[in-house]
Amino acid sequence: MQLQLPFRKPIASWLRKLVTKMSSRKQVKGEYIETDTGNKVSRKANLIGTQHIMLGGKTVIMAEAMVRGDLTRTVSAQGSSGAAPQSNTSIFIGRYCFLSRGCCLRPPGRIYKGAFTYMPLRIGDHVFVGENSVVQAATIGSHVHIAANAVVGEFAIVKDYVRILEGTVVPANMVIPSFSVVAGQPGRVIGEVPEGGHEQFEMREMYKTVGNNIPPPTAPAQLPV
Amino acid sequence: MSSSTKRHSMMPRAGQLPKAPVNLSSSVVIHDNAVLTGNHTINISSETVIHPRNKLDSSHGRVTIGRRCIIHERVVIGAPSADPTKGEFGVTLEDYVTVEVAAVIESGCTTIGEGCLIGVGSRIGRGAKLGKYYQHCTITARSVIQPGEQLPDYTVLYSNGTRRTDKRGVTDLKNKAQARQIDVMRRLIPTNINRFKE
Repeated sequence: MQLQLPFRKPIASWLRKLVTKMSSRKQVKGEYIETDTGNKVSRKANLIGTQHIMLGGKTVIMAEAMVRGDLTRTVSAQGSSGAAPQSNTSIFIGRYCFLSRGCCLRPPGRIYKGAFTYMPLRIGDHVFVGENSVVQAATIGSHVHIAANAVVGEFAIVKDYVRILEGTVVPANMVIPSFSVVAGQPGRVIGEVPEGGHEQFEMREMYKTVGNNIPPPTAPAQLPV
Repeated sequence: MSSSTKRHSMMPRAGQLPKAPVNLSSSVVIHDNAVLTGNHTINISSETVIHPRNKLDSSHGRVTIGRRCIIHERVVIGAPSADPTKGEFGVTLEDYVTVEVAAVIESGCTTIGEGCLIGVGSRIGRGAKLGKYYQHCTITARSVIQPGEQLPDYTVLYSNGTRRTDKRGVTDLKNKAQARQIDVMRRLIPTNINRFKE
């Protein structure tokens, strides 16, 4: 219920921007905080460790969604492509993602080089996460639909255009190939996304249904599914 | 203007619920957003980690949590059950128990044995006993354990009711890994135990 974002220091830069923007503009007390890049974050969302969460833009985070940014990597990843020392971002979320009410994103953790560490959780674009779903995957590709009450286990890798049906329990370390439909407990690939079916993964329309001024006052029917 | 609304939402929710009498070890890690409520005692032994948005509810009986347990976010321990009669105690978690995200453990003589893992979103009914000696069961995600159900040691419950026995014999390793994980959690989770003490 608490909104923690603007009080954590240091605040992530997008948030700082947002705060300046909000105070300069005439204040609207909507349910959502809208950022420059078009993210819509509910004031009732539960973001922990915002400085470690990266939102790509146009991402919707609904009330009571929980994102655990504070579980960061604690063992430095040496030898991963010799790039500059990575920032400690623990959750990357792409564009047009939609985190429904009550879902939970948390980075997966494991023993690595003799010490326990969390690893970053990467989510692509146009990813829908249904109500009360828990995602602890290593990677989620783009255009992935995770229905309500699903569980995506630790270090699962979900490729593009995957549909995970309601109540699925994707076991830890599972790799789900592109265009699969997954269901069951434990999750199995039960079919393929039909030809032309990939258009349903488009999240732009759903993005427009959520926000402060957009929905008609009578309709609480912002909920997907 | 905006700050006033924000500050309003910062009101600690915990303040609205009665604080439970607690008995915490000094090495316990409890995130500030966790809620400890109820009127019976909540005992938490050393090096246990409690993640944010947890609810430990002792209003239906005493809650005891052993050493080196990890309780992930949104877990409810001591949830009211359909049967309102009070048990001798509420919930007992022995040492090295892991309770994953959004699991629910009902109150009423429920015992979770040493080294058990309760998966994401599982529900443990009242009076359930995991393990003959109450030990090392694995309950996978979204499983439901009926009230009063008993599981022998090393049971793995999966696929919504199928059981098998864990013969890997990796108990010690698992406990070691748990200890490592707790070391890390200590660094990551800010804690102020005094907040929960009266």
